[in-house]
Amino acid sequence: MNDRTAAGSTADAPADYRVLVVDDDLDMVAFLARLLRDEGLKVETAGDGASALMQVMTSPPDLILLDVMMPGVSGFDVCRQLKGDESTALIPIVLVTALDDSESRVRGIEAGADDFLSKPVKREELIARVKTLRRLHDTRKELESRRLAAEVQRKEAIRKTFARYISPRLAERITAEAGEHGDPFQGRAQRTSVVALFADLRGFTRLTEQNEVGAVVAMLNEYFAVLTETAYEHDGTIFNMAGDSLLVGFNVPFPQADAAERAWRTALEMVARFGPVAASWQQRHGLTVGVGIGMCAGEAIIGNVGSTHYASYTIIGNPVNTAARLMQMAAAGEVLVCGPLYERIRHLVPAGRVAPRGDVTLRGKSESIPVFAISAGAREQA
Amino acid sequence: MTKNIHKVIIAKDLADLIPVFIRNRQKEVETLRTALGADDMEQLRQLGHRMKGVGNSYGFAKVSEIGERVEDDARTADKTAIDACIGEYADYLSKVQIVYE
Repeated sequence: MNDRTAAGSTADAPADYRVLVVDDDLDMVAFLARLLRDEGLKVETAGDGASALMQVMTSPPDLILLDVMMPGVSGFDVCRQLKGDESTALIPIVLVTALDDSESRVRGIEAGADDFLSKPVKREELIARVKTLRRLHDTRKELESRRLAAEVQRKEAIRKTFARYISPRLAERITAEAGEHGDPFQGRAQRTSVVALFADLRGFTRLTEQNEVGAVVAMLNEYFAVLTETAYEHDGTIFNMAGDSLLVGFNVPFPQADAAERAWRTALEMVARFGPVAASWQQRHGLTVGVGIGMCAGEAIIGNVGSTHYASYTIIGNPVNTAARLMQMAAAGEVLVCGPLYERIRHLVPAGRVAPRGDVTLRGKSESIPVFAISAGAREQA
Repeated sequence: MTKNIHKVIIAKDLADLIPVFIRNRQKEVETLRTALGADDMEQLRQLGHRMKGVGNSYGFAKVSEIGERVEDDARTADKTAIDACIGEYADYLSKVQIVYE
């Protein structure tokens, strides 16, 4: 019946704004396509609803001019399907209807059409509507790119802020999940189960007495480099570094089903990896030093504590206090562990290296707790 | 049937589309006659509706006007009126004179 063969054709226009014209009347398609191409737009065409849906799915256009009355899948059906699909819902659809067809317009609105164009089509009206929708399209794209840039900036700020607490790997994970679950550090304080590890340097006092300030700082940097690197490798979160002591938390800010095992391996490696450093200090400065560690598991409060000027991601609670007291009691190369935590790691600890200390009343505590001393010297194997 | 020559002014940039457009309208006359012969009022209504939309888009107001009448007459199944419309349409197409500006 019709001498035109237009379906699926593409113009040569260099514009990046693509319009899909859908009409079973190929004279109408040719007419609309010509006017749009004259405006420098890239035009694709479809001769029926099913082809239009296929084309949109494979190569979504920026705008669709859609005839209502088509055999098979009608313009309303096409519109409804595209507006009901999240991936195509934002593509503007202009329904092309007869001027006096108010029923079609009502149905079009119900199907989600963005605008209407009257048949017979007036050139000026077509161009004006397309230009308006193109402006909206450009504005939406601009806003979207700004939103993405802001999101990248926000994630980078989170990463920079918290990179000092946690391993780069954990920082990446937090950054990646920040968009979905919010900032894990900025939420309200929460009570959660943690494993606290306190480490400090036995022989530190002598070190500061016998060396110049510059040398002390260099040695502390060397010591903390070993400990923080070890903590990060096991995805521990560093909460505090003061003097020669370091506080590391596990099972925060993300749950770690194997938090106890991670803490144990961290302690073991801290002692082992500091061994060569201690040996070189012995050789160079005649100092006898070593790492002493206290560890405890239990409920603690986690959150940002401070003022608007300064805040710190903080862990507070009984396991932290207990780990601190145990650390003070630990000798060089020794890990002191509270009873409940020992029960969780005992399968990893060679029996010959464990010395139960019985129930111990720690300084500042009213009740005694079972304590286990584990030798984590160079010969120790996990 | 009128003996007047129908002069239509068409935008220059559509010139290359017009020969196919006119050929399709001539085929449309045959399709209308076939549909009328078969008493297919629904097809006649659809054809009229299509003529109404496409005609004046190109600048052929008369095609839209006849199309609208065909659409309306098909709704009331007025075969005599439709027959007259088809005759008028064929006559118009044979006499239309196109000027490109």
